[in-house]
Amino acid sequence: MPHARKTERGLLSLGGLLLLPRFEHSSGPWPQIVGYALSLLLTLAATLLVVHHLIAPLYLPAVILFLAVLQAGIQLGLFMHLREGVGPSWQIVALVLAGIVALGIVIFSIWIMAFKSGVS
Amino acid sequence: MTHLLAQLFPPSVLRPMELGADASIVIATVAIAAFLTRKRRWGWLWREWLTTVDHKKIGIMYLIAAMLGLFRGGVDALLLRTQLAVPQNTFLGAEHYNEIFTTHGTIMVFFMAMPFIFALFNIAIPLMIGARDVAFPRLNAISFWLFAFAFLLFNMSFVVGGSPNAGWTAYAPLTELRFNPSVGENYYLLALQISGIGTIATGINFLVTILRLRAPGMTLMRMPLFAWSALITSSLIIFAFPALTVALALTMLDRLFGSSFFTIGHAGMPMMYVNLFWIWGHPEVYILVLPAFGIFSEVVATFSGKALFGYPAMVGSMIAISLLSYGVWVHHFFTMGAGAAVNAFFGISTMLIAIPTGVKVFNWIFTMWGGRVRTTCAMLWQLAFIPTFVIGGATGVMLAVVPGDYQFHNSYFLVAHFHNVLIGGVVFGLFSGLYYWWPKMFGYTLNERQGKWAFWFFLIGFWVTFFPQYLLGLEGMTRRIYIYPHGLGWSLPNLVSTGGAYAMGVGFVILVYSIAYSARHKDLDLTGDPWDGRTLEWSMPSPAPEYNFAVLPKVSTRDAWWTMKQAGRTSIRLGEIEPITLPKNTGMPFLLGLSFFVAGLGAVFSWWPVALAGLGGVLALLVWGWFVETGDHVIPAHEVRRSETLPGRLEA
Ligand code: HEM
Ligand SMILES: [Cu+2]
Repeated sequence: MPHARKTERGLLSLGGLLLLPRFEHSSGPWPQIVGYALSLLLTLAATLLVVHHLIAPLYLPAVILFLAVLQAGIQLGLFMHLREGVGPSWQIVALVLAGIVALGIVIFSIWIMAFKSGVS
Repeated sequence: MTHLLAQLFPPSVLRPMELGADASIVIATVAIAAFLTRKRRWGWLWREWLTTVDHKKIGIMYLIAAMLGLFRGGVDALLLRTQLAVPQNTFLGAEHYNEIFTTHGTIMVFFMAMPFIFALFNIAIPLMIGARDVAFPRLNAISFWLFAFAFLLFNMSFVVGGSPNAGWTAYAPLTELRFNPSVGENYYLLALQISGIGTIATGINFLVTILRLRAPGMTLMRMPLFAWSALITSSLIIFAFPALTVALALTMLDRLFGSSFFTIGHAGMPMMYVNLFWIWGHPEVYILVLPAFGIFSEVVATFSGKALFGYPAMVGSMIAISLLSYGVWVHHFFTMGAGAAVNAFFGISTMLIAIPTGVKVFNWIFTMWGGRVRTTCAMLWQLAFIPTFVIGGATGVMLAVVPGDYQFHNSYFLVAHFHNVLIGGVVFGLFSGLYYWWPKMFGYTLNERQGKWAFWFFLIGFWVTFFPQYLLGLEGMTRRIYIYPHGLGWSLPNLVSTGGAYAMGVGFVILVYSIAYSARHKDLDLTGDPWDGRTLEWSMPSPAPEYNFAVLPKVSTRDAWWTMKQAGRTSIRLGEIEPITLPKNTGMPFLLGLSFFVAGLGAVFSWWPVALAGLGGVLALLVWGWFVETGDHVIPAHEVRRSETLPGRLEA
């Protein structure tokens, strides 16, 4: 990737021109617009499922969780420029860290809140 | 019409104190507007400040906001302490007291400490790492204006519609609509949500700035410690703030749209709010204190005339603190009763944080050891910080002992503890940074003699206020009570504590006077390096020029400027100066903040057309900002050369 390396060096040497990061706009803003529309749709779907009791309560959390993970994927892929960029893939480190934190929050919260079953 | 008036001006905003505030707000606004009109300064205000994307000016605006926040929060603190000065006092009623401690805590955390930290990040970080600006200058301005309008929104509550009253933590079910129908909590939810968006953006901005825009040769392990603290703080912000966003959003849905996430009925889980709030809340206290650690690390090295002792250990301990800080949040609600295993786990993880913190304290002390310590104001705050923070940390470890916490929890022992770390750690650090970087912001130093008076009043006042509160806590006085009877042994400590609070107030007044005095009798800093500094921000004239560095520095060591001074490489060569490109100013961030304000206000009062209009403005501005490039402007080389000749730093 000779081109990519050049960009990297440009950023490091920091000609004042490069203050604003410039992404390669190959496809225009369409991924973002599609991502936004899809996110709205998925949120709407989750809301409707709950408000109109469309699914048995037993399966509801699983379905909503699935929609949430789907939306997270869409946002990472389409908004967060996950696949753009140059040089080493630092995004992966951040993603793994985010995954650990998210998982930790969920697991620990379940553990913490489990006391409710003992109390009430 | 009468309905609208009753909504806007319920009895709680028509008390004499609030009416007095109304009057002074009107007078101050009219006076400022008249001044700007008479001096024909409106255009100047718009062009030079409201539309700026220059990180140094944004930093100064954050600083002004933080001082206003300190004033408002400080007045609230004095009102609270006045009520508690004597038993059976009737100065404030119960409801009034609730509103004031809620406002005090919220303002101090979100609208005093946070903007103060962002002020110093903005002013110092790009200069320290040898950058011409932050990575996303316009986003930086957006962050500021979201914060500023959120601050305005929150502050309006006590004169229009009524203050929030459920504590700075806004626990469910205290915020549940059924129990708390006034619009006060809506202000809290919307204002924090809006400023939270700005805060997350700031976290991203400084993370990218520090990772991508360092001067050539400045490896991560050559960065000044303050830059390290900003890097770690930014990552804490990015990982922690979403939990607050969720907690606030769900509470808002409960209050405004009838959902039941945290309600008592309909299988809501109020305790889940507490859990979410502190998942954010504990990292937040490190978001507040790590920047102070960074400031102290710069100040102690500069004023000891020595390189910081144990730099790698300092960096390592900060990273350790930031990782541990995600795993301790239950210590804020041990008494919820989650069970022995949960509490033991979180008690131990909490105590572990004391280890890296202790490492840092020793390193600061060893930096002074054998150095030539100059007791300037910036350094005095550092010297006061060490013992104060150590005691605050020790009482924190006491609170982490679970059985002990069942006694201390929500007593004045806790109030004393968190003020001990928030004031002794955060505020002392911010004041130290204020004195340290002031000449770089404005081109003159603050008066040292007056600064020392302010320091001593504040420090002694601090201990007189908060030491008796530890005793009060042990005597059983609980937090957030507005009245207490005679004969419990609480009367004398409370009176002393109130006296101390007034002494701190005097310290603040002296500080403000000193700022005004120093602005009139300028002690100009002509060298750009008034403290014999070690890092790159001292390599340029004071105040820092618009373009920061005429020629970007090349870094080969830690304490880069110190090395350059030792090697006699302090001036720049004429031939190296090239035209400099900077981003143009834009009014979009200000208008975006305004739109969010309109949307927020609409939501507070459930005026949906207004809220939708505000959101429409937000959307329109975002689309506009997406497609329209604001462009750059170029400072020609001869202009850079001219402004660099003045301080005589050029070499032909
Ligand atoms: C300037 C001196 C200060 C004084 C005299 C003071 C005094 C007080 C008082 C009397 C309370 C109410 C205690 C209660 O009734 O439970 C309080 C609460 C609080 N203070 Fe301060 N304070 C000061 C500075 C600060 C600072 C600098 C911060 C944060 C950076 C801060 C953060 C808080 C918080 C978070 C609360 C809890 C509010 C709540 O219970 O919801 N205070 N303070
Ligand atoms: Cu904590």
